[in-house]
Formats: sequence, C-alpha cells, structure tokens
Amino acid sequence: MTGFIVRRLLWGVLLLILVIAVTFLIFYLLPSVDPAILRAGRNGSPKVIAEIRRNLGLNHSIIVQFWNYTKEIVLHGNFGYSYYYNDPVGGLISDRLPATVSLTVGAAVLWVVVGVPVGIISAIKRRTFIDRVSMGTALVFVSAPVFWLGLIVLYLFASDIGRFPFFPGSGSYVGLTVNPVKWFESLILPWMVLSATSTAIYARLVRGSLLQVMGEDYIRTARAKGLPERTVILKHGMRSAITPLVTVLGLDIASLLGGAILTEGVFDIPGIGRLNIDAIGHGDVTIVQGTVLVASIFIIVANIIVDIAYAFLDPRVRYE
Amino acid sequence: MTTPIRRRAIVALAALFAAAAALFAFASSQSTTPANGAGLKPALTGAGQNLTNGKRGGVLTAYDSEDFEHLDPGEAYFSLDYEIMYATQMPLFEYLPNNTTVATPMLASGQPVVTDGGKTVTVHIKPNVHFSPPVNRAVTSADVAYAIERCANPNVANAYFQPYFGNIVGAAKATGGPIAGITTPNSTTIVFKLISPSADLLIGALSLPISMPVPKEYAAPLDAKKPTQYGTSSEVFTGPYMLKSDATGKFLGLGYQPGKSATLVRNPNWNPKTDPQPAYLNQININIGGASQVIGLQVLKGSDALQNDTPTNANVQLAYQKYYNQLTAVPGAGDHYVSLNNHQGPFANVNIRRAAYAALDRAALVKIAGGSIVGTVGTHFITPGSAGYTQAGGDAGPKYPWNEYPNGNLAVAQKYMKAAGYPSGKYTGNAVVKIVEANNGNSPEEGAVVKNAFASIGLNAKLILVDQSVLYAKYCGVPAAEVDACPSVGWIRDFADPQTILQVPFWGKAITPTNNSNWGQVNDPQINAAIVKATNVVGASARAAAWAKIDDMLVQKAVAIPWIFDKQPNIESANVRGISDLWDVGEWDYAYTSLKNP
Amino acid sequence: MSAAEPPMSAGGPTGDGAEAARHGDAGQAFGAETPASAGGPPPAAASSDRLLSVEDLIVGFPTPDGLVHAVDGISYNVERAGSVGIVGESGSGKTVSALTLIGLTQTQGAKVSGRIMFDGRDLLKVSKDELRHIRGNEIAMIFQDPLSSLHPQFRVGAQIVEAMRIHRSITRSAAHTRATELLELVGIPDPRRRVDQYPHEFSGGMRQRAMIAMALANEPKLLIADEPTTALDVTVQAQILALLERLRRELGMATIMITHDLGVVAQIADRINVMYAGRIVETADARPLFATPQHPYTWGLLRSIPTLDGPRGIELVPIPGRPPSLIRRPSGCHFHPRCAYALPDHATIDPELVDVGPDGHRAACLLDAAQRAAAWAALSGGGTPEQAREAAGIAEVAVPVAETEIVG
Repeated sequence: MTGFIVRRLLWGVLLLILVIAVTFLIFYLLPSVDPAILRAGRNGSPKVIAEIRRNLGLNHSIIVQFWNYTKEIVLHGNFGYSYYYNDPVGGLISDRLPATVSLTVGAAVLWVVVGVPVGIISAIKRRTFIDRVSMGTALVFVSAPVFWLGLIVLYLFASDIGRFPFFPGSGSYVGLTVNPVKWFESLILPWMVLSATSTAIYARLVRGSLLQVMGEDYIRTARAKGLPERTVILKHGMRSAITPLVTVLGLDIASLLGGAILTEGVFDIPGIGRLNIDAIGHGDVTIVQGTVLVASIFIIVANIIVDIAYAFLDPRVRYE
Repeated sequence: MTTPIRRRAIVALAALFAAAAALFAFASSQSTTPANGAGLKPALTGAGQNLTNGKRGGVLTAYDSEDFEHLDPGEAYFSLDYEIMYATQMPLFEYLPNNTTVATPMLASGQPVVTDGGKTVTVHIKPNVHFSPPVNRAVTSADVAYAIERCANPNVANAYFQPYFGNIVGAAKATGGPIAGITTPNSTTIVFKLISPSADLLIGALSLPISMPVPKEYAAPLDAKKPTQYGTSSEVFTGPYMLKSDATGKFLGLGYQPGKSATLVRNPNWNPKTDPQPAYLNQININIGGASQVIGLQVLKGSDALQNDTPTNANVQLAYQKYYNQLTAVPGAGDHYVSLNNHQGPFANVNIRRAAYAALDRAALVKIAGGSIVGTVGTHFITPGSAGYTQAGGDAGPKYPWNEYPNGNLAVAQKYMKAAGYPSGKYTGNAVVKIVEANNGNSPEEGAVVKNAFASIGLNAKLILVDQSVLYAKYCGVPAAEVDACPSVGWIRDFADPQTILQVPFWGKAITPTNNSNWGQVNDPQINAAIVKATNVVGASARAAAWAKIDDMLVQKAVAIPWIFDKQPNIESANVRGISDLWDVGEWDYAYTSLKNP
Repeated sequence: MSAAEPPMSAGGPTGDGAEAARHGDAGQAFGAETPASAGGPPPAAASSDRLLSVEDLIVGFPTPDGLVHAVDGISYNVERAGSVGIVGESGSGKTVSALTLIGLTQTQGAKVSGRIMFDGRDLLKVSKDELRHIRGNEIAMIFQDPLSSLHPQFRVGAQIVEAMRIHRSITRSAAHTRATELLELVGIPDPRRRVDQYPHEFSGGMRQRAMIAMALANEPKLLIADEPTTALDVTVQAQILALLERLRRELGMATIMITHDLGVVAQIADRINVMYAGRIVETADARPLFATPQHPYTWGLLRSIPTLDGPRGIELVPIPGRPPSLIRRPSGCHFHPRCAYALPDHATIDPELVDVGPDGHRAACLLDAAQRAAAWAALSGGGTPEQAREAAGIAEVAVPVAETEIVG
C-alpha cells in the first residue's frame, strides 16, 4: 500500500506540471489581453509597452517563462505577481481560501446529512408517495441552475431584500475568526443553495445504490440470520451502498474547493472562485495559473485519498 | 416499468414550470419601460445639485461589483479608480461636481498663468496642504514635479504622459528622472516649458490624477520596484479621506483588500480651509464583488448605501417605478457609435457611408440599450457638457440630410447610394460586410439592427458575435482583421477639452497595428490637417470653435455613425444624499455625498 | 449413486416465482383455485418425532400480468434429525416454499395461506418478531452462491459473530472463539487465521463451509439448504454433502435439501419430494423413488442424468419443453404438454396426489399402476420414451409433445 501511495503522489506531481504547462499554453495561444497592454492602460505608447514587457519578463520565449515560473514555485513557493492587482498571487489565494473552504465543507456536510437519509427512505419506501415526491423534488433541484436558485433564495429570505427576511443576504460574509456567529449566519443561505443540487444528486445516488444492493444475495442472508430489518438496511445495505458515494464525495468536494464560482458571485463571498473569474476577465494570467494549480492539487490529492478510502471500505480492492 | 418513470418526470417538469412561471410573474410585476423622454421629471436629469447643505457624519456603504484597477495617482485612469483618487488626493485643479467646463483650483492657489505665446505655464500652490502620516509635512511644488516625472518611469508607465505631457521640454527622453522643462523656483511655484504652444491642453491635463503630489523621499524606493509598489501596497494622501493604513502608510490588507473591500477614513492631516470640498461623511466602506442585480435591490431597499456600477435594466425600471427619488440619470457620460472601415471595403466610399448613416434606425438602438433613461439619440461626436457641444449643433447636431432622421430614412439612403454609383439605390457589388459585436447583454440585438440597416441598402452584411474579451483585442482594435463595422465602440472624455474626445478615434496618425482606438481607420487628409491645427489653438472658446468644426467635418464625411449620447443611471438608498460628478461619467463623489440623517 | 453433473442450468436460485410488485399483508388467504393436492399431511411417525409439518401451503404473487401461483398447496413433513430433499426445475416453487418457511417471501408481497407447524407453532401465525427469533436461530438457511451470499465487506468471523449475538447474549470474544470452533467443525484448515479473513480470500468450497458454519452458529433444529452445491465443482460438491451428512448425524439437526439435481439428493436425503409447477407431483422415501418412480416427470429427471451404473451407451433423454407459466398454467394435468405418455383425458382432468406404494409413496398421475410399471421397466432398461409408450400400451400421443429443447 505504501508503494501505491508513493507512486500515486509522483504521478500527481507530474500531472501538476502538465496542468501548469497547458494553462500557460492556453493563455499564450488564445487571444486575450496582453498583460503589458493591461498595465499600460489606454493609449499605451509602443515604447512604454515594450519596457513593461521587459520588466515582466514577457519578452522571453514561452519555454523560458514556463521554466522561471515553475522554478519560482518549487524553490521559493512564489506564485508570481498578479498583473492586475500587483499583489503576490500566493497571498491572494491564501487570503481567499478560507471562505471557499467554509462554503464547501459546510455545503458538503449539509448535502450528506440531508441527501443520504432522504435516499435511504426513498429506497425503503420505493414507489410510494414519499418516494415519488422526494425524487420529483430532487429532479427539480438537479435541474435548477445555481445562479437562479441563489437569486430566488435571496429574493425570498434575505434579511435586506427578501419577502421573508430570515437570513443575512448577499455580502454579509465575515471570516470565522472575525465573528463566528455572523460567519455561520451569513453562510446559511449559500450553503442551502450550493448543496441543493448535490443533495438531490446524492439522494438519487443513495437510493439507486441502496436499491441495487438490497437485491444482492448477502442481504437475503442477513435477513435469514434473523437480523432486524433496520440492521439489514443500515448496516449491511448501506455498508455496500456507501462506497460509490465516497468516491463521488471526495471528487465533488475537491472540485468545489477550486471555487464555487456562481454561488460566490451571487452571495458576494470572497473565495477562490470569484478570484478566478475576475482574473480571467482581466486576462490576469498569473492568478489564473495559481488558482488552476491550487484546484488541481486539491483534485489530485482527493483522488488519491478516495482511492485509499476505497481500499479501506472494500477489502476486495487491494493495491500492490 | 416505464410508466412510473415517465410520470415522475412529467410531475417534476410541471413543478419546475410552475416555479419558473411564479418567478416570472413576480419579476415582471416590476414592469415596463417608461415613456421615451416625455414626462421625465427633473430629478432624473442630474442637474442643479446643491453642494453645500449636507449634514455631517455617518458611514456610507458603497457597492462595486468590479474591483479597482489602480490606486496610484500616477497610473489611475478607470472611472471607478477616480472616485477614490479624487476623494483622497488633491490635484492641482478639479471640476466641481456640477460643472463640466471650468476647473476649480484645488492644490493650486489660483488659475494658471500662461505666457510666452502659450509655451510657458506657471502654477502656484497653496502652502499649507499636508501629506497624511507618516510623511506629515507640507506639500511643495517639488512633489508635484515628481508626481509628473515618475509617470515616465517604466515601473509606473502612465498612459497619459505621452499625449498630454510629451510636449514639455525634455519629456520625450524622460525615464523617471527630472525633466528639464519642469522647474520649481520655490516651494510653492511650478513652471512648465513647452516645445510648442499647447498650454491649454496641458492645463486641462492638470486636472487629471497625474497632478496629485507624490513625496519623492517616500515614493522613490517604492517606484524602484517592478512594478511600483506606490499605490499598490502603500501611499500617502492629501485629500479629505485616505485609505485606512498602518503607521508606515501601508494600506494593502487594511484599507484595501483586493477583490474584497476598501475603506476610506478621514485624513487626520487634512486642512478643510485649503479645500472647497465639504467631506460630510466620516467613513466610506466599499464592498467589492457580488451580482449587480442583487446589489441594486440591496441599495434600493436599504438605507445608507449606493451602487457604483451601472444598475441592471431591471433595477433601473424598478427604481423608475417605485424608488423614483433614488434614481438619477447623468448626461455627458460619453457616446457610442458604429465605426465604419474608412480604409477598405464598401465603406471606403463616403457616399455609401452616408447612405448607411441615413438608413440606420438610431432611435431603435437607444431603445435596446435601455431607453431614454440611459441616453439620447447621438447626432455628432462631442458629448453634452463638453466644450464645443453647442457649437457643433447641440442636441440636433450638424444639419446634413443623413443626420436629420433618428429613425432612419430609406429614401435619403437610396439617394446617396445612387450618388455612390448604384442607380437602383442598392449595392450590387460582391463584397461581404463584416460586422463584429459582443455576444452578451444587449449587443447582439444592437448588432442585428445595424445589420438590417446595411441590408436595406443592398449590402451583403454578416454579423459575427464574439466574446467581449476579444472584441477589441482580436477584431475591432486590429486593422489587419479587416472588420467593416463595430456597432458599439465609444469614447469617454478625459477632461473638458474636446481634443480628448476627437483626436484619438479620428486622427490618421493615431492608428496602431494593435490596440487601435481609431477603429474606423479614419485617415482623411483634411481632417488630419484640421486636427493638427486645432491642437495648437490657444484659448478655451477658440479651441471649442476649432474642434466643433472638426466634429462637423466628421459628420459631413460620415466617418462613423453616432447613435447615443450616454447618460449614466445611478441608484442610491433612501437615506443617502448622493452627489455625482457630471464630469466623470456621473460617478459618485465621496467628498460631497452625505446622509440625510447621519 | 454417484455424484452427477447437474443438467445445464440457467437462472439462479431465486428463479422461482416472478418479481412481486406490491407490499401485501402476510398470512392472508387469497380467494381462488382449490389446490389440487387434497388430503392432509401424509401419515407418518408419531408427532413428537415430527419437527416440521407443512400443510397445504399456498404462496401467490400478484403481478400486473396476473397471479403467479408459485406454490400451489404442498404438504410434507420433516422428522427430527431427518433429511428431506425437494427436487424440481427452476420455477417449480421449491425455493419460494423454503423462503416462506422462514418468512422471507413477505418482503416480496406474497399472499400466503396454509399451515407451517414447526415444533408446535404455526409459523404463519406467529408475530413478526417471534418469527425473526426463530429465523437464523432454530431454523437456519444456506444459499446457492456462497460468494455473493456472504457480505464482501465484513470479515467472515464477524458475520458469524453477528449471527450469534442477535439471538443470545454472548460477549464478543466468546462469540469470536466459538466462530473459530465452528470453522474448525466444518473442516476449514487453519481456522484461527481464517476467521478474520474476508470472503473473497476463501475458495468456493471453503466459503460454502463458512456459510454452513454461520448457519450452525446457534445450533438450529432445522437447516434448509437451497442448492448448496450447484455453484461448486464436482469434487467439492461431494465434500460438502458429506459434511452436511456428518453434521446432521453429530448434531441431530434436520435438513431440507433443495436442488434440481437428483444425484445430490440421492446421496443424503431420506425422503424426497418432487415438485413441478408449484406442486408436489411425487413423494417417497429415497430408495423406492429411485427403484420404482411413479411419475413421468420423475422418470424424465432420472433419465436425463447420466449414471455410472446404468447400461452403457444409452442416450440421455432430456425432458422436452420448458417449465410452464405459473400465471396461466396448462389445463388439466399441468405436466401434460411435456409428458410423452399423456392421453387425451389428461388435458382436462387435474390429477390428485394419491398413494401409489408403501411408506407413503404418493404420486399425482392419471396413468394406472400397470401402465406406469411397464413404462418404467422399459425406460430403466435403456429404452426410449417411444418404446416405453409402446410397452405401456399407449397407442398414440394425443397431445403433441413440445419441441425438444435444452431444459433450463
């Protein structure tokens, strides 16, 4: 198992380098604002632009730029400077990360805590009214665009603009260390919105997985042993049904850690997603490279963790 | 067992439709567009702002969904940046919020003195304006000199330096060090020596943030960094407010958190006796980010807030219906026009251009953009509130047949097609006319109107929709892309002098292979000569007349089709008495804004 | 008789009966057809020896296509420490009847009627909780595929421990020790290591042994084995059967062996019930069944398996056709469409299960004893069904025999 982990980590590093290279290439090849022009502002004279290019190292070949960039990260942990903000990228990202983590982790807890039981109940009571209603509702939430849902939730429940002002609205986010109570309150609506789609997906996933497992022979054996039905479902059934869920959960969380762009936008939460989208709009390559890198790290790590977890959950799976 | 699945899907779809219908009904209960111009009450026009009877105190909240670009006076040019710059620094001159033509002395102690046939400009400054901590000392003329000189430093790289200050003796070769043509005989006097008599242009430029003083001993080490850290992490201030900073003057992380917030607090060293600005508010909290629709509602329903972005059309309509006193539409926010390729293709022929001009339904474009609240039909290129507007024909514009019909007139158009050599009144050539527009917002609809106009005179027009980010970078700003028309190019003036509106978009010498702002590649010898001559005219009214003549020429030759004089709609909360700067596309002015009940 | 290759078998152990649709109440009789096998339980030894007595058990599943008559009124007994075999093809109702004994068909929405007297109690009338306490405790069941029947993610020992701790209070460590002992009892080598392994680490035969160990954990009075050797290869099959026999004798435990393979049943059953289309068509002690079978279906089963001690060179004669739909069963004798000896009458008369020999040998067939004896004599000598027909004096087959197919 250790050998497996080490090898996966090495592949992960290789993959990261590949990801950085591709991001570099994308911004180099596709038309976007030349960073030097961005810095020079309107009517930049050619002389000024050339000088800026030299300052920013843009006159080197793409390979040299890539090499310098990678070297800076690996040796100094320096992610470069944002062209637009003039701030160190590493600082910008680490500044935004807590908000995204708060949003993601809270939403994940919510969708697991709500989605799994709903899925179990739907599976047990399949084809009854409860099942139809919950799966129908799930279908609605799966189809609802996040941005639309966010606006609806704000128009209904935001304390400043909503019809039923219960919860703090857009822009009320404060850090956990600043004021834990306000931090929690400000995240209630965003958590609901961000987890809505996933709750629905996980409920359907659990329902399907559990239904499939409940038809397995070992469930019949469990009943034949005289186990109460509750134990059969929750211990024997869910133990098997949970495995695909873990795989999906790990990857979902990882991809959200790369930034829940739409939710952060509607609720004005200063997370990585917003940083990323603003940077793309400004053609701010270094920030985008930084966020892509960070997001990739999350996903690669999550993949490895999920694989390891899978091996623990299902003893039939073993890695050499 | 397909029936249960299908039934479930239908139930879910029905639920979704019901929800959507409910939302639609809810949203459209804020209904229709207002009448076109008739019945607009005076409050909406933004005129007649009373600047001096506000109440002191209180904290204002401002919402920007976009972030600032530069907070260094030597680099700022974005109108949002100006809001901060003009509230926290003292330029030599500045326009009052309700004046767009005459600049008031701010740091300067009086009007500039022009001598030597317009080649020397002398400015005196007030002696008791101080920098904020940690510099603290009084501002001297050397600080103004350094502020201008550092703009030539590549680490600062100010875009205005070349066009407006390039004519100072020794400026062409400057790289950040002292400039021969800028001298400071004493601590309150600064003298500019010009190569040719462009004094009026220079004086106009002295109202830009470039003239805001910068202390060399504090800023030079920061300016040595690539890029400069002055205005990025640290800065000192001379205005009534400052970005909240620590003891060393560092505001990054305190008064400015990129992408998140900015905080303006009172400048302890500000001397109100030196400044006509009342500075009523105690603090301004600026929130960066969020969705514009939501912000608009928060502002309209809230109490102490204002929105810095252009509100969404839906919120403008909502404000017009329900929060009338919280809505202003400020004229003079710039103009938009359809650029036509003067260099090649069918539009190289002046009569075809005139025909297209006559055929276009400009009023329809204004309606698509949001109606009379957001602007009036464009009839020439100098914008309302700038010098030369009235001389160039005012609202109706120069009297030429193709300019007489805001809704378009096919008969007139056909007349000019015939003059172009097409007896049928329709184009019969083979060329394909490429129209390039952005693919978001109102742009595709606007593009379609333009395409129809071209088609009505027989042109084989193709409308290409592209992402906003590449519209200029790859198409309209690149001559080699051979684009025939860009329907939504526009310009905002830098200051009241009409040269800042007309020179770059219409001068042959301003054409560049990339990042080109002379989108139509206008290179007419007559116009070029007139422009060169007008840059050297001295005296405000003479300049206004000279540039108005050029404006007339532009319309006469139909180099482009102006279609809107923009108005900037602004919304504020009920308790806010917002004052906006007419000279800065209607941006809010923090130094004059107050709360009704602080 | 030696172990035989099972005929080609499609479908798994739960092929009996259709997938049920709705939840139903257990124990409600549903209106209907009078079961064909009239008569009460077969006369037998004194009741104190009788552990299990199934009386007129009927199990039906309502489906959108109609009522599935999975079990159509069967009756049989199992003595204490006795061994009964239930033989039939897939779809004969054998598994459903077994599952119904321990109340596991209720989850499929079955409608059940009849009596199941187990050790003095009617299992169809006891409460759900009581039934659950009997299940896995006094009556244990093992299934066909031991790999899929053991939970892949729990250790084998843990699963055995769980079976124990549900029904009695015993500490975990004591249960663990007992689990190890059980594994040893069923002949698994190195049990102390094996007890903490996962099912996929066991071989097929060992897994089935482990399932048996789990079934034995609470010293049940009755063990139901549903096709326990079908998924195993021949040599292992023999070992498992020998094990079951040994356990039955050592522990005094009754067994019901459900299989489609007469060869399996031949080795260990004292009494054999042959089921077809939800009914018992022939029931007898093992020796008389093999010596003088009295039902054409049984003949077909016997002649479709190769035997080492039969005449050489005889052809295998598979039973033509396929098991009938349990929703719309054939009229008259349910077997007649596939019977080589059917007379025109047999399409209208439904035979009853009647005595055809000593010791409670009964069969449900409309032919008379002489015809049957003659036919079987011909078949057992190696003759074809045509020859047997002639020997029995049945001139022509009134109903054409269904096309020969590989019987599933």
